[in-house]
Amino acid sequence: MKRNRKNALILILTVIMVMGFATFCMASGDAEVVSAVPAPDGATPDFGNWHVMGWSAVNFLILLALLYKFGFGPVNAMMEQRTNTIESSLKHAEEVRVEVDQLMKETQANLAESRKEAQEILARANKAAEETKTEIVNKAQEEVSVMKARALNEIEAATQQARLELKDASVSLAIMAAEKVLGRAITEEDQRQMVKNFVDEAGDLLC
Amino acid sequence: MMFGMWDSTYFHIGPIPVDHLVVTQWAIVLVVALIAFFATRNMQTVPRGLQNVFEWALEWCHDFFTQLMDNKDVAKRFAPLLTCFFIFILFSNYSGLIPGAAVVAGFQPPTSNWNVTIIMACITVFAVHISGFQQKGFHHLGHFLSPTPMMLPLNILEEITHPLSLTVRLFGNVFGEEMVVAFLLYMVPFVIPAAIMGLGVLLGAIQAIVFTILSANYIATATNEGH
Repeated sequence: MKRNRKNALILILTVIMVMGFATFCMASGDAEVVSAVPAPDGATPDFGNWHVMGWSAVNFLILLALLYKFGFGPVNAMMEQRTNTIESSLKHAEEVRVEVDQLMKETQANLAESRKEAQEILARANKAAEETKTEIVNKAQEEVSVMKARALNEIEAATQQARLELKDASVSLAIMAAEKVLGRAITEEDQRQMVKNFVDEAGDLLC
Repeated sequence: MMFGMWDSTYFHIGPIPVDHLVVTQWAIVLVVALIAFFATRNMQTVPRGLQNVFEWALEWCHDFFTQLMDNKDVAKRFAPLLTCFFIFILFSNYSGLIPGAAVVAGFQPPTSNWNVTIIMACITVFAVHISGFQQKGFHHLGHFLSPTPMMLPLNILEEITHPLSLTVRLFGNVFGEEMVVAFLLYMVPFVIPAAIMGLGVLLGAIQAIVFTILSANYIATATNEGH
């Protein structure tokens, strides 16, 4: 505040100094007279000085023509050019905006499509995995059943084999025992009949 | 030579006499033309420096007159003329504040002589009637009988008083200011006249604005549909 007041004071003093210097220059302009300036007589200029009128009209019209040539003409042309530039810039900006909008829409559409495709791929992959799993499980179950059947067959065959072997051994044992008990040799036919009966009985007991 | 004013011939160009204030007019025309020339010599789309100031001044004048006249077409046609009035009168008024004005030979503020101001007023009258005929054709003459034919003498008197008032107002103010400064210089040739010269700065601008506003108003009235 104080500083502003000081600046204003300096400004006023400067103006007074400049104006004072100007008046001093004006006062000392005419060196012929004894006083700084001649005494005023207060007379007004004569009216009807046709030369001054003519010159004034010519000078004013020349100024008007020069201002048209160097002032209004170029400035108006520049304004028009500026208006055109701004209009074309706005138009271009609008076009770019529309283009960007279009691109954005396309991008969003592409993105949505990509998402959809990705989901489809995922779904397909899940389905394939599920199918593969089912197939593997089924195959394993099939193999297991085959193996189980084969094992059962083998067990059956081994049992049969063992049964036959046991029968043979039993026959031989029975013959030996019969020979010991009877003390004589029995005919082949008897022997066979007996053994057979025995074995059948024994077999029924065993099985 | 009257006090501080040469109302006489300075020199002759052939048979044509040239007054002191005509030389000042030449200087003003030259200065304004040079400013315009340098401002528009190398026009840029983005204005800078002198071009910026010059464009701003012309645009301001154009907008000002457009608002004042309330008719874009007429304003566009006559804004250059009115701007030229404003510039010429402003420079003429301010030329009286430059040290040496009305003292150095060939240097006298043109608007301090009513032979100059009446020419300005006459140009205004021409512009008024040209704009009226352009806008309304021969119906423009009807305004002499408006609102009733009985008003014809008063309307004719108005046509005379308009340029006369423009002439005397501008001449009287500038001449009076010059005379006051000259009297003060005679009596106290230091510091005191500076105050009046400070007022002269204000007065010069005000008179230029008043002259152009009134001219614009007369043109707008002549082109107004309701007139």
